[in-house]
Amino acid sequence: MTQTDADQDQLMRLLMKISQQDRRAFQELYEHIAARMFGLCLRLAGQRELAEEALQDAFIQIWHRAGEYHSDRGAPLGWMMTIARYRTLDLIRARKVRQTVNDEDLNELDDGRDGPLELSLRESGAQKLTGCLDELSDVQRDSILLSYYRGFTHEELAQALSSPIGTVKSWIRRGLMALKRCLEQ
Amino acid sequence: MKKTPERIEALAAEYVLGSLRGAARRRFEQWMMESTRVRREVWFWEEKLGDLARDVPENQPPASVWNNIERRLWGAQEQPGKPARGIGRWFWPSWSMLATAAVLVLAVVLIQQPKPTGEQLSGAIVQANLEDPLWLVSESGTENLLKLRSVAASAAEAGKDYELWVVPENGQPLSLGVIPAGGVHRVRLSDEAREALSRSRTLAISLEPTGGSPTGAPTGPILHVTKLYSL
Repeated sequence: MTQTDADQDQLMRLLMKISQQDRRAFQELYEHIAARMFGLCLRLAGQRELAEEALQDAFIQIWHRAGEYHSDRGAPLGWMMTIARYRTLDLIRARKVRQTVNDEDLNELDDGRDGPLELSLRESGAQKLTGCLDELSDVQRDSILLSYYRGFTHEELAQALSSPIGTVKSWIRRGLMALKRCLEQ
Repeated sequence: MKKTPERIEALAAEYVLGSLRGAARRRFEQWMMESTRVRREVWFWEEKLGDLARDVPENQPPASVWNNIERRLWGAQEQPGKPARGIGRWFWPSWSMLATAAVLVLAVVLIQQPKPTGEQLSGAIVQANLEDPLWLVSESGTENLLKLRSVAASAAEAGKDYELWVVPENGQPLSLGVIPAGGVHRVRLSDEAREALSRSRTLAISLEPTGGSPTGAPTGPILHVTKLYSL
């Protein structure tokens, strides 16, 4: 999927209208991005019920907060996806969903080839961020991608990657800082 | 904990990634509220890591999701296409330019349909992920007093004050003066403010220079907007 400038311009126009309480624009926005957003919520939550609730909450926030969007926040789609992602993470925490990672969970996540993170996501993730993920070590990159796509806690990561929590924390922290140095170049 | 550049950098990244949890996450949100630098760091990561979301496969949500959104926003009885009531047109475009604190997720206490008059308004000014509200708001109808009880609010940054506003359905916001971050604060509403509040039921808090806005209109970022409900 490519995000063209025209797409983003259209989303920007819809947000402007929504900030003026335009319900038709809101419905149009929903039709335009709901499937993308739901894909992300579902990936993160790992279960439909919670993902559906997060999607609803995210759109309700977008209705109320459309006027808060400004260009410093990045592209409009990214801003809205961020709202959905935070809401999903909040709900996961509130429900204490997936408090423990058991073998069954890991099997579900595993594509059978490459650990608990699908190869497709690992590859696409690496291409994004202007190739900067490639500069990280495998464990740093996987810890970051599992946190991002799966909302794994430090404890869950430690279990999934069979490593102590302290080690996992430092992979994430150092990985993120290396990522930043690379992105800033 | 001091906001050193290194800490801001590390915590912002973990905040956006989601690995910052619990009390540490809430403390960091407080930092975001207090500092533009912290917010900009968060936005940097939101934009960069947001790239990762692009390749997640789409998945069509069931129709019930949209139906629920409509019901929660406008109730089942209203026909779609009818103009929405609520905050007027002027409000968002003009205030949004100021709303640099937009990172705060505002939990808006939604009202149902307006009830007959004579009710007392109350509500809470809340911040997402903070368990306690920042302030609790209640009205004592007979004396036109609005009471704010501070629960989890913390002091504004140095040289700044919080200022409370009634956001009317139309027209400019009306100042209710500067409010302290601690204790219980009472504001006497003018007839005009009372009237506007009973119609719009909307309050806002902005960050202003010490002593309040020099112009009589909000000049700083709008930190919170909340709708009151009637008891």
